[in-house]
Amino acid sequence: MRLKKVLLLSGALILSVAVFFLNAATKNIDLETSFLQHLRTLCTVLSFVALTAYLQIVKRERPRGIVQGIGSIAVVTGGFLAIYLIISLLPLKGFETRDLTLFPRDYQTIFFSSVFSIVAGLFAVTSLLFIKDLVLYKRKKTTFRNFVLLIIAILTAAASQLFSKPLQESVASGIFIGIAVLLIVMNSFRLAWIAYLPRKEKIYALLYSLLSFFGFLVILIIFSQEAGGAEKGIHYYSAALYTFVQLTTIFGAVYFGMSFISTLFHLPTAEAFDRKQTEISSLHNLSRLITQVFDLKDLAETATKMTTEVVQATSVWLEIIPTEGSFHKSGVMSRRNIGQEEIDAILTGDRLSVRSIVCESRKVLMIDDVGSDKRTRHLPRMKKAGSLLIVPLLSHQQVIGILYATKEIEYGFDQDDVDILSGFADQVAIAIENARLIERSFEKERLQRELMLAQEMQKRLLPQDLPVFATVDMKAVSSPALEVGGDYYDYVHINDRLVGVVVGDVSGKGVGAAFYMAEVKGIFQSLAKIFPSPKEFMINANEALVSSIDKRSFISLIYATIDTVSGELVVARAGHCPMLYVTETSTEYIRPQGLGLGMKTGGIFSGTIEEKKITMKSGDVCVFYTDGVTESRSTEGEEFGYERLLDVVVANRHRGAEEIKEAIIQTVWQYTDAQGYHDDLTIFVIKWR
Amino acid sequence: MSEFKVTIRPRDNNIHVLELKGYLDAHTTPVLEDAFQQMLNEKKYRLIVNCRELTYISSAGLGVFMAFIEDVRANTGDIKLSDMTPKVFNIFDLLGFPMLYDIVPAEEEAAHKFGNNA
Repeated sequence: MRLKKVLLLSGALILSVAVFFLNAATKNIDLETSFLQHLRTLCTVLSFVALTAYLQIVKRERPRGIVQGIGSIAVVTGGFLAIYLIISLLPLKGFETRDLTLFPRDYQTIFFSSVFSIVAGLFAVTSLLFIKDLVLYKRKKTTFRNFVLLIIAILTAAASQLFSKPLQESVASGIFIGIAVLLIVMNSFRLAWIAYLPRKEKIYALLYSLLSFFGFLVILIIFSQEAGGAEKGIHYYSAALYTFVQLTTIFGAVYFGMSFISTLFHLPTAEAFDRKQTEISSLHNLSRLITQVFDLKDLAETATKMTTEVVQATSVWLEIIPTEGSFHKSGVMSRRNIGQEEIDAILTGDRLSVRSIVCESRKVLMIDDVGSDKRTRHLPRMKKAGSLLIVPLLSHQQVIGILYATKEIEYGFDQDDVDILSGFADQVAIAIENARLIERSFEKERLQRELMLAQEMQKRLLPQDLPVFATVDMKAVSSPALEVGGDYYDYVHINDRLVGVVVGDVSGKGVGAAFYMAEVKGIFQSLAKIFPSPKEFMINANEALVSSIDKRSFISLIYATIDTVSGELVVARAGHCPMLYVTETSTEYIRPQGLGLGMKTGGIFSGTIEEKKITMKSGDVCVFYTDGVTESRSTEGEEFGYERLLDVVVANRHRGAEEIKEAIIQTVWQYTDAQGYHDDLTIFVIKWR
Repeated sequence: MSEFKVTIRPRDNNIHVLELKGYLDAHTTPVLEDAFQQMLNEKKYRLIVNCRELTYISSAGLGVFMAFIEDVRANTGDIKLSDMTPKVFNIFDLLGFPMLYDIVPAEEEAAHKFGNNA
């Protein structure tokens, strides 16, 4: 690129020098249409082509903004005028006119004519390049075409003079110049860039356009003066160049004249345009924030900051109203340029407050004059709040927050502000909703971990293995419906012969039930050894529980002591499912009377409790279970019930405790069609070998 | 999800009947709780719970009766239960409810038991 630049520049220089020497050599000769004249024309054209290419590269390397571009043109026209002034002040002898041809009187005239012509060419090309940027801003298909047509027209008009004498005027070139001027006017309406300038830049654009306009105008006037000296130099140098520069100057003058007037008319709306721009960028920023800010506080700060910017409010604050189940407190989350006391003062008056009006209507409330509006005139006078704009943040038709903005002056807000803030409020509402969802999912995850921990803990409350005896085969299983449950089974060695086994069910499910279950475990382990009689145990367990248990909760328990030598089994039942007893010859649900634990104190409870005694023989099976078994439902909604339980145990009576337990689970599982147990479920099988 | 509904129907002698319908479990107990609370707020303590259309009651459902019985009886009223299906009665019976509550086959009988002294 650098090499290309050097080549182009040096090429242009060499050609220009060549032209100079040709001119010097033929100072007093009319070349007419000789070979030398053609050579001179060729060199001139080539040198300008090289210069144009060079300028294009240089300009592309340093891209400028719109306003900078216009500024550059102003500088270029200024520079050109300065050089013109200097050259016209030089004591040059000028030209002699003979037969429409110019003959320089001395060599200095030739030299400075060349210099000035090249400068004029540079000026014209540079101006065109900059104007091209302006014309083609936000281009349409036709824009580019029109501009290219203009350039072609200018070049054709210039080219038609390539072979004519310096002062000769032809009809053809006149027509081309006319076409070029027409296209200049057409292209001068392309001023799309003005609308997109911020107000401050518009003022600069106005100034630069004016300067450029006058610059071009002055140049145009100079060029059209017959008496002038320097422009004759261009005529002498190349009549085509003269036409080119002249047309370019007309273009510049017309274009910047138009742009000056147009910018002037755009100025009054510049502020509105700026505001739309700010609004768009604020909305854009906010949309971006939605995906980035998970912290509600940060979000609120951003929202109030942007609101202040967008509607130029004196003070802004954002109130968050928590939805049900939210972890956030209600209140002002972020405020700008206003104290909490002032906010409280504005929102006083309970049911009649502006706040409740917005909450109820769920619509934007605009108060033009706080002092005289009937909804706010009872409020104490406040300097900061002349007018008030209140926007509800809605999510699923619920008010989840309120955005307030005030201005010092009355009638400070207009319909535009309402529209802007409404759109804004929607975005903020989504962002708040997002932040809340994320927080909730974090919280949920934390609770899930806690529950898993509770599940682990509860599993440890159940015996890992049941004791093994020569006479009694015992197996048990417990499966909670949720992570943790209220089912319980356990055993205790009372003495060498006696073992106590228990199955219980705390009312309800989940964490609450799990706590009581842990308490039952403690009570069982401590009391069972002290009170070997199941009835005595139940009465004492009830005493221990009744004081600590919630009055709508209770615990059902079935407790039996088994003599591992004699086979005697004593069972007491406190509101629990009856024990299933299957022998070779009989099947029976053993159901001694008894209230659930924790329902009634002392006397009433002990009066209800009974004991039953059986003696287990070889092959006999006893099954303890919770209502999760009998109340399991099929897909048709029918309960598993006592009959099916009895059937499956009878069918598997001859098998070991483990197999009986598995058979029950499998049967229940098939019955419920594997849709998962609805309730906590526990099975405890005792088989006399 | 199973539905549960309570209908309150006033009777003679300042007695109010709560007709239960459907499946009473941990999810639906608030409905029954609200009904009892309403009765207490209106100082109506002579209550019959008609269980004719009650298809199931869980331990949480049983807990509701225990939560309110003390307040009702403290105001010389009672909660009597009637018209249970055998299956529902079995659930009440397992826990020993018949030892604490008047459970009778028919609503008329429960009303009769309240007597005439309103």
